[in-house]
Amino acid sequence: MDFPEFSSGIEDKEAVVQSLFWVGGALCLVATILPLVLLFRPSRLLRQAALWVLLAGTGAISAAAILVISRSLDLHLTLLSITPQLALSFRLDKLSCFFVVIIGAVSFCAVIYSITYIAHYKSERSKQFLTSGLAFFILAMLLVVASSTTFGFLFFWELMSLSSFFLVMFDLDKPETQKAGIFYFAMTQMGTIFLLASFLLLYRFTGSFDISAAGNIPQWGKGLVFVSLFIGFGTKAGIIPFHKWLPYAHSASPSNVSALMSGVMLKVPIYGLVRFIIDVFRPDLWWGIVLLFFGSITALLGIIYAFKEHDLKKMLAYCSIENLGVIVVGLGLYVIFDFYGLRVQADLCIYGALFHTLNHALFKSSLFMTAGSVVQATGTRDIEQMGGLIKRMPGTGAIFLVGACAIAALPPLNGFASEIMIFQAYLTSFSLGRPILEILLMAGLAALALTSTLAAACFAKAFGIIFLARPRSGAASAAKEAPFAQLLAPGILAALCVGFGVFSYQLISNVKSGMPLPDILPIGIIVLVLTGVTFLLLLLTRSPVRKTETWGCGIPSQTGKMEYSGDGFSEPIVTVFKPVFRTRKLSTREFYDKYNSIPRSSSGEIGTLKFFEERLYMPIARFFMKIAGAVSNLHNVDMDALILYSFIAVVLVILGVGWWL
Amino acid sequence: MMNTGITGDLIEVLFVLILGTAAFVITQRALRSLFTLYAIQSVILAAIAVVLFAEHRTVSLLFIALLTLVIKGFVIPAFLRRTLVVLPTKRDIEFSYLTPASSILLSAVLLFIVYTSFSNVAEVLFSDRLFFLGGVIGVSLALMGMMVIFSRKKVVSKIVGYLTMENGVLLFGLFIAEMPFIIEVLIVIDLFMLIVLSTIMAFGIDSSIEAFHKKLTQLGMRFED
Repeated sequence: MDFPEFSSGIEDKEAVVQSLFWVGGALCLVATILPLVLLFRPSRLLRQAALWVLLAGTGAISAAAILVISRSLDLHLTLLSITPQLALSFRLDKLSCFFVVIIGAVSFCAVIYSITYIAHYKSERSKQFLTSGLAFFILAMLLVVASSTTFGFLFFWELMSLSSFFLVMFDLDKPETQKAGIFYFAMTQMGTIFLLASFLLLYRFTGSFDISAAGNIPQWGKGLVFVSLFIGFGTKAGIIPFHKWLPYAHSASPSNVSALMSGVMLKVPIYGLVRFIIDVFRPDLWWGIVLLFFGSITALLGIIYAFKEHDLKKMLAYCSIENLGVIVVGLGLYVIFDFYGLRVQADLCIYGALFHTLNHALFKSSLFMTAGSVVQATGTRDIEQMGGLIKRMPGTGAIFLVGACAIAALPPLNGFASEIMIFQAYLTSFSLGRPILEILLMAGLAALALTSTLAAACFAKAFGIIFLARPRSGAASAAKEAPFAQLLAPGILAALCVGFGVFSYQLISNVKSGMPLPDILPIGIIVLVLTGVTFLLLLLTRSPVRKTETWGCGIPSQTGKMEYSGDGFSEPIVTVFKPVFRTRKLSTREFYDKYNSIPRSSSGEIGTLKFFEERLYMPIARFFMKIAGAVSNLHNVDMDALILYSFIAVVLVILGVGWWL
Repeated sequence: MMNTGITGDLIEVLFVLILGTAAFVITQRALRSLFTLYAIQSVILAAIAVVLFAEHRTVSLLFIALLTLVIKGFVIPAFLRRTLVVLPTKRDIEFSYLTPASSILLSAVLLFIVYTSFSNVAEVLFSDRLFFLGGVIGVSLALMGMMVIFSRKKVVSKIVGYLTMENGVLLFGLFIAEMPFIIEVLIVIDLFMLIVLSTIMAFGIDSSIEAFHKKLTQLGMRFED
């Protein structure tokens, strides 16, 4: 009989996975501690060693996760059991390991990138801190998605939030960073409170902290838990209107951290949503509509905001919001189709959403890394100060181009491969047979289509303004190509983008067969052949180049000021979406005389209203400041008032005694 | 167990007298009368303890009566009166949060609140009506003392408020909690120390707490130099 052998084979695999997982986690922990060992004498050697250890750790955990996925294992591990209820235990199944692979792979590349990136900071102390924080952040993220109890999930979630907060606050002298830090801290804590509330509700209903036990709760309780989870996860994932921290935090933090935050940390709440919606609960129809609605708004507004941004990293951050919106749209559609029993469409959506999660992690981290190299080389994040970098940083430019094509969903790259799945599901939704829902879906489809178009326009602008034409500033013309490690890491990710795009059909059919998907491989071959032929023709037909000054209408030479600017590029679209941007024109004039006839000075300003910040966040913040001020007035008092308080308290207690006893 | 009859009536009369002195403590502006009022209140308390002793024959009650009479009835008021020698003003006319009239009204409301609240738990807590009344008046007296503390500005008046509060606690203890005698003694010693300290610091006692605090900080800074 070969059955026992087969089962022992499985056990072997489980043992391998288990030891890889523990070893990987331990290595990440070692990498956290190692740079801090010599606290007062930061050592370059220890820091570099920590990065290599971290590399090994993320590699080991990724390998474990890939083993789990390829062998369809389902492992339960326990690290620490405070009580039988409160345990830090992990579950490695296909879903969690899918996210572990995303986190592990992107972190792996981010660590490679960090090897030379961290070295450019001046102070040894800050390098030491950044290395250690990075390792801890990666470890916390890996453990969040592996957690099998809500207790462990929240515990590691909070570790992840706090470590990323400290990483965001890295340049804490800059006022911009302080603002980002406050936004991030307040919002991430708000998210955690909602998560805590929903986990406590779950515990109230089921009497267990186990995630997989959360399924059997009453219908209304389920709805409540969903809303709370949606706000909690939505805040972390940057779903509009809970998104405001994201552009600030991503642009303020070091580039290797923003690559991780945008590429990986934003996926952790997606894991939470997928786990709870698909694996644990049986969702209602309205959940899907809520997800679809917020997802569409997030995608569309995210890309519209990205378009007018000329801070490179902020633009990428808004694009992350857009892509997270697309993923949430996929989840919402899954819920709707699943509710009506349309299996094919539902599968398309969920696999599309998950595939897009993976793809976004790949291309967005690659883009953030190349952006980091560009910012490092030019010393500015303002794209209007860049230009002509393709000649100075050809490697970085090429990788950025691949990432930009992927995020703009151009075939044959991976962004196209995953978005087409969601479009496919949308387009076949006419079989639903519910007119109102179909209208909603068509509106969503239109929004998604507009989003994709704008994304393409946005990255045409980004690549054009950053890399093409002539340098717009001295810093841009003095830029140097990034070191090898900073090309290798995003290069690996860009290669994966191409690979996952071209072989997407084969990959997906391996996981789930029978999906109505286009095979991109032939397109990939055609594109490859066409590119090859074009280059060949260029080479063959190259005529000798004559280098001379172009005739510039009598002006001696062209300057950067004469070039087409980023603002010029986006102006038509900004005009179209004027109601969204709420463009404001402010002009003030002062006069010498009371009849306003002799002007003294005047100023004019054109700006856009930061709608969510000024109309939503700030009023709430001001309200709480008012309450806080009142409370602080209450306890900044003399002794008489303190005695008055205790008097009131005693009277209330007496009243309470009479009332309840 | 307290039965009907002359002792019960006597104690009820004494309760009314105690409430009367409390009302005067709240409103009285002249400091010398304030101290006298406190002495009278303490003597009445001692009388209550004696009446209880006549009923129960518990020796510690007698001791409590004696202690209250001597320390609170004579020694403490005497110390307080000595502070008047150094005080430039003999009347306390500064009030915060509550005027005397509203304090009186509030204490009536308080008495009512405490009465209704306690009557809900009366069966569990109090063995008979007189004990119940003792508890109610004890707590109300403590609260009135607290009111005196936060509504008066001068430190000496605050001290009287504190002493009144303690009287309330004693009254409550006599009827409800059966406080061990030793603790009663310790509380009285505490009070005594408080008064002695206050008289020693009489140079600052005419001022309000804020000004006193300022003087103390000046002192502290001198030590730091």
